[in-house]
Amino acid sequence: MVSQALIITNAQGFHMRPASVFAGAMAKYPCKVLIRFNGNEYNAKSPLNLMAACMKCGSEIELVCDGDQENEALAAAAEMIRNGFGE
Amino acid sequence: MLKGTGVSAGIGIGKALLIEEHSLEYTPVTITEPQAEKERFNDAVKTFCENTKKQADALRISAGDKEAEIMLGHISLIEDPFLTGEVEKLIEGGQCAEAALEQMCDMFISIFSAAEDDLTRQRAADVRDVKAGMLGVLLGIEDVKIGDAPKGSVIVVRELTPSMIAEIKKENIAGIIAETGSTTSHSAILARVLEIPAVMSVDDAMLSIRGGDTVICDGSAGVVIVSPVEEELKEYEAKRERFVREKAELDKFRGKPTVSADGIRYELVCNIGKPDDAAKAVDNDGEGVGLFRTEFLFMDKTSVPTEDEQFDAYKKAALILKEKPLIIRTLDIGGDKEIPYLGLEKEDNPFMGFRAIRYCLKYRSLFKTQLRAILRASAFGNISIMFPLITCVEEVRAGKLLVDEIMEELRAEGIAFDEGIKVGIMVETAAAAVIADILAKESDFFSIGTNDLTGYTMACDRGNGNVAYLYSVMQPSVLRMIKRTIECAAREGIPVGMCGEAAADPLMTPLLISFGLTEFSVSAPSVLRLRKNIASWTKERADEVAAEAMRLETQAEIKEYLSSVIG
Repeated sequence: MVSQALIITNAQGFHMRPASVFAGAMAKYPCKVLIRFNGNEYNAKSPLNLMAACMKCGSEIELVCDGDQENEALAAAAEMIRNGFGE
Repeated sequence: MLKGTGVSAGIGIGKALLIEEHSLEYTPVTITEPQAEKERFNDAVKTFCENTKKQADALRISAGDKEAEIMLGHISLIEDPFLTGEVEKLIEGGQCAEAALEQMCDMFISIFSAAEDDLTRQRAADVRDVKAGMLGVLLGIEDVKIGDAPKGSVIVVRELTPSMIAEIKKENIAGIIAETGSTTSHSAILARVLEIPAVMSVDDAMLSIRGGDTVICDGSAGVVIVSPVEEELKEYEAKRERFVREKAELDKFRGKPTVSADGIRYELVCNIGKPDDAAKAVDNDGEGVGLFRTEFLFMDKTSVPTEDEQFDAYKKAALILKEKPLIIRTLDIGGDKEIPYLGLEKEDNPFMGFRAIRYCLKYRSLFKTQLRAILRASAFGNISIMFPLITCVEEVRAGKLLVDEIMEELRAEGIAFDEGIKVGIMVETAAAAVIADILAKESDFFSIGTNDLTGYTMACDRGNGNVAYLYSVMQPSVLRMIKRTIECAAREGIPVGMCGEAAADPLMTPLLISFGLTEFSVSAPSVLRLRKNIASWTKERADEVAAEAMRLETQAEIKEYLSSVIG
């Protein structure tokens, strides 16, 4: 299992498009991908979960990957979040 | 006979086609073969995605990329691995696909509805749409497609949505009847653009009309007649003919200048919302564009439109209009619109809040991008810049200063633009009308926005049924605002136009001529009617009518008087 603390940087947080793009990208990895935020765990492969988490710009989250290709998944996820999904 | 509001003139006679919203009720059953039920669910997902993809493609053409992208988002919601996983678990537990789907969707609907931020709350509506669409597929309910309506159909619907209008094939639809909506609703505006007779706010239309009934839809009078008798049918066929003939009569004013009976020349231009609408202005013989709303550029996007994107749009309109004037209004938007990337917060009172010029002067880089794009486009036509929602002279000065700065930059970069570009303002607040004498010294022109001016002067939201009776441009207060604005403009020798709905109202024409308006900016289909109307007035007669109207003390008296004069 690998994990990393990150801060959400895009202005609107995980709204529809970023949530779909991010979950879609995570779905390609066989490992579990979770986001810990506000004491809860959210399935990062689910856009609905990501939107329900109500993460905003500036929210501090922990990204957790567990299973095959966990390092690759973590690196890709961290990169997307740091870039603010290109917005 | 059913009564409603005529929102798009003309007579339509045809067969009723009811667009039903289906009941999505079902009886939950216990599942004994979960594998088969899961397959049924997955097949439904596949069908739903195919349908949605098709709708998105159609929307992309008719309504733009933003609408299409929202539809495509629905696919990622139904394919959500968490959602489908949980639905499958529920099915394994013995629930039918409908019940399992509904339970999971309702869970997210309640989570999203309870969210603090508006954007997340709006996602509840998306999940609701997905649920309805999926239940429709699972229950085998086919949508009635407006696009497939046979020739001579009169559409009967509870609420006409812009996306329905987008599907309509104009040549097949004789008329539109809706239970909700008014003259100013978006779909009514679209109906007028398509020149389809339409009556809205017809109570119980869906109950009173059966599919296949012969109906007369009188969009001029706001009347619907179901299963007319022979005489009625004849009467309305004659009316339809007369309407068509009058239209031909108006065509005689095509290609002619706009002049009063005593030879005073006026400018008669159009309001447009997209570059392509400039072509409609030209088709309808508009002499240019008095108001180009730029909001569309920002609404149809998921991020701020770039300078080049904006430049292309403005240039396109300018090229269509050739040497004809094109007044571009800078971004007029506030908390009442959902444009996620602008970071506009929902306000308790968006129309008095952080919007239009106020927003632009704070977010200067966004404003600068737009002004740069307009200035660059000015090399390709006869473009002017117009600032919305001005309430004090500092706003005009700040805007003009920014324009000067950008001109300096463009000169330094060797980029062409119109050095003589005019910068004017909207007079649409009571504040601006009252200080029109001050503003006229700083502006190259005025354009009176009567819709907002009426609302702000009367402190009245016309969408609120309890106070809508106050909303009238013929209120003595509003008429005085207009008169004062025009007189102040005349004193400084600057042109003054009007781009609200009142500009096209025949009752207002004598007043506007008498006050000294120089430019009328109206929707494209109103051009010829107004030109004909202006040609029937002399300044002398208009002055008499205006003097009497301004002497009267109530809106009702003024309206009655003007109606009696104009007939």
